[in-house]
Amino acid sequence: MEQVKTEVCAGESAGAFVFQSRPNHSLTRFQERLVFWSLAALCFTTAIGFAWMGYWLILPFAGLEIGLLAWAFEVLRDRAGDYETLLIDGDRVVLEWHCGHRVSRREMNRQWARVECDCSSPGRNCRLSLNSHGHATEVGQYLNDEARLQLAAMLRSRLQG
Amino acid sequence: MSDAAHAHDDHGHGHPTGIMRWLTTTNHKDIGSLYLWFALIMLFVAGTMALLIRAELFQPGLQLTNPDFFNQLTTMHGLIMIFGVIMPAFSGFANWQVPLMLGAPDMAFPRMNNWAFWILPVAAFLLMVSFWLPGGAVAGGWTMYPPLFIQGGISYDLTILAVHIMGLSSIMGSINIITTILNMRAPGLTLMKMPLFVWTWLITAYLLIATMPVLAGAVTMLLTDRNFGTHFFNAAGGGDPVMFQHIFWFFAHPEVYILILPAFGIVSQVIPTFARKPLFGYASMVYATASIAILSFIVWAHHMFTVGMPAAAQLFFMFSTMLIAVPTGVKVFNWVATMWKGSMTFETPMLFAIAFVCLFTIGGFSGLVLAIAPVDIQLHDTYYVVAHFHYVLVSGALFSIFAGIYYWLPKWTGHMYNETLGKWHFWLSVIGMNIVFFPMHFLGLAGMPRRIPDYALQFTEFNQIATVGAFIFGFSQLIFLVVVLKTIKGGARASDQVWEGAQGLEWTLPSPAPYHTFETAPVVK
Repeated sequence: MEQVKTEVCAGESAGAFVFQSRPNHSLTRFQERLVFWSLAALCFTTAIGFAWMGYWLILPFAGLEIGLLAWAFEVLRDRAGDYETLLIDGDRVVLEWHCGHRVSRREMNRQWARVECDCSSPGRNCRLSLNSHGHATEVGQYLNDEARLQLAAMLRSRLQG
Repeated sequence: MSDAAHAHDDHGHGHPTGIMRWLTTTNHKDIGSLYLWFALIMLFVAGTMALLIRAELFQPGLQLTNPDFFNQLTTMHGLIMIFGVIMPAFSGFANWQVPLMLGAPDMAFPRMNNWAFWILPVAAFLLMVSFWLPGGAVAGGWTMYPPLFIQGGISYDLTILAVHIMGLSSIMGSINIITTILNMRAPGLTLMKMPLFVWTWLITAYLLIATMPVLAGAVTMLLTDRNFGTHFFNAAGGGDPVMFQHIFWFFAHPEVYILILPAFGIVSQVIPTFARKPLFGYASMVYATASIAILSFIVWAHHMFTVGMPAAAQLFFMFSTMLIAVPTGVKVFNWVATMWKGSMTFETPMLFAIAFVCLFTIGGFSGLVLAIAPVDIQLHDTYYVVAHFHYVLVSGALFSIFAGIYYWLPKWTGHMYNETLGKWHFWLSVIGMNIVFFPMHFLGLAGMPRRIPDYALQFTEFNQIATVGAFIFGFSQLIFLVVVLKTIKGGARASDQVWEGAQGLEWTLPSPAPYHTFETAPVVK
């Protein structure tokens, strides 16, 4: 599980039902910059200092390592905007995910949508999905089992109602 | 439906079992367990080497080993204990505890976490296999000083490769830990509310990232000196072997704190629990840890006073080293103040934590003695130094690991360990450890050099005492193995809270902690 905590907002406006969940991100931009730039400054100052004395082979390793750190923070930044939205509006059921740079979407007819919840392996994740025309789509990836079961119950009543 | 939506469908939820579960796992608890088992196995490997060393030193002359094999044993004992036992054990604790203490479901980069662990056994294999190669294992000391390290056989190249792999593992682990701590804290869990164990690991990971390129560069230059005709450290070609020592210790002194800061964190969790009081001076503990980390960058040359340096440099490194006693003293004071007037009970984790405070302080004081340049010049490369760093790393790092295992094992397994066996393990360890290492102070003061298989007759008695202690200490670790195995297999059920005075998010979970935890973050008030 790569997801952290979830902020869930469920609301209804003009008859539509919206359920959105996001992973937790506690990293602030200031903390990210402080940690990254202080480490980069420390590593490169040391490496350049030794390179100046002729021991230049530390420099490429410092570059590789700081590059890896930069990649890690970049991935975290990308993930910061991740969300999962479920909208039930009239006969439309719209699922939308934002994951990194990708936005994906699936729409199905409310009358055909079926909720499936599989909690067959104790101690492991429950799997909640919406099935339509033989094709299952997993939802609630940022939720824990308890919240998934609650969402499943909520969806069943919404889809049948 | 878009392709991306397809990709979102049908996530594989079939969990592999057997060996594949452990090879492919991205679960922080599995990986934590893997690190801890790896460290335990390597503890027995490197511990067996230590017993061979002590058996050889039971009396003067050569009994069991030849001098070259003796040097191989001392070198490999050091390398494995540092890179194969202490560091992986603390990584194991970090993997298990950091997400639980932060209210996070896992580490920030679970796949990288898997890789960070699984390249470690490869490095261990490269190190161990060198015993069976022509020329045997590396014998130039764990510090890898040239010219010895430039002159050895194929095993020296393998060791350089192993050090690179272990360094890569450390970097991946550190980046994971830093990003996890910064990005995955539960809402309300501000930095200054984090458990001290998490703080110490944040600073340790920072130190690791800051210093690893120096080690990687240093060993790569050794490699090119050995194989590609460069002369960075080869005096025959105009290189400077002393410069290697500067570069190496610029890495290795922070490394010393990498080996002890997580120990401070563990002890700072254990003592308040069994004293039933909050940690005294939490903020000062955080600042003291950060101060120790900062100071670790400006003290490296105290390891090499004897190579010759200007008096001003000697004074600078002497005083900066002594300065480290101030934040360390703050920590010791705070641990004692936490215990003061507490409702103390003495379960095994607390016993190891108290032993840590007392014995680590002895190691700290002998470190202060060695910080004094004129004294160090007398004691350099004697058994006094061996006594000093074993008081820091055995009764410091290793005892804190034992404290942490006994403390969190019920949470991990769901069973209470056998307290009687735990106490036997503690008392035999603490008595054995002091019998091994305390006489080494006297041996060093009397002038016995380190890393020798034979010695003058006047050192015999203290060496014999040390060897007896080593076997008591070594075999008492089998009790620890029995305790761990029995606890995993069964025993009294552990409650969720486990310890009456325990505080923190991990204790809100059931025992054993479920496979998936905190998928929705708790809110910390």
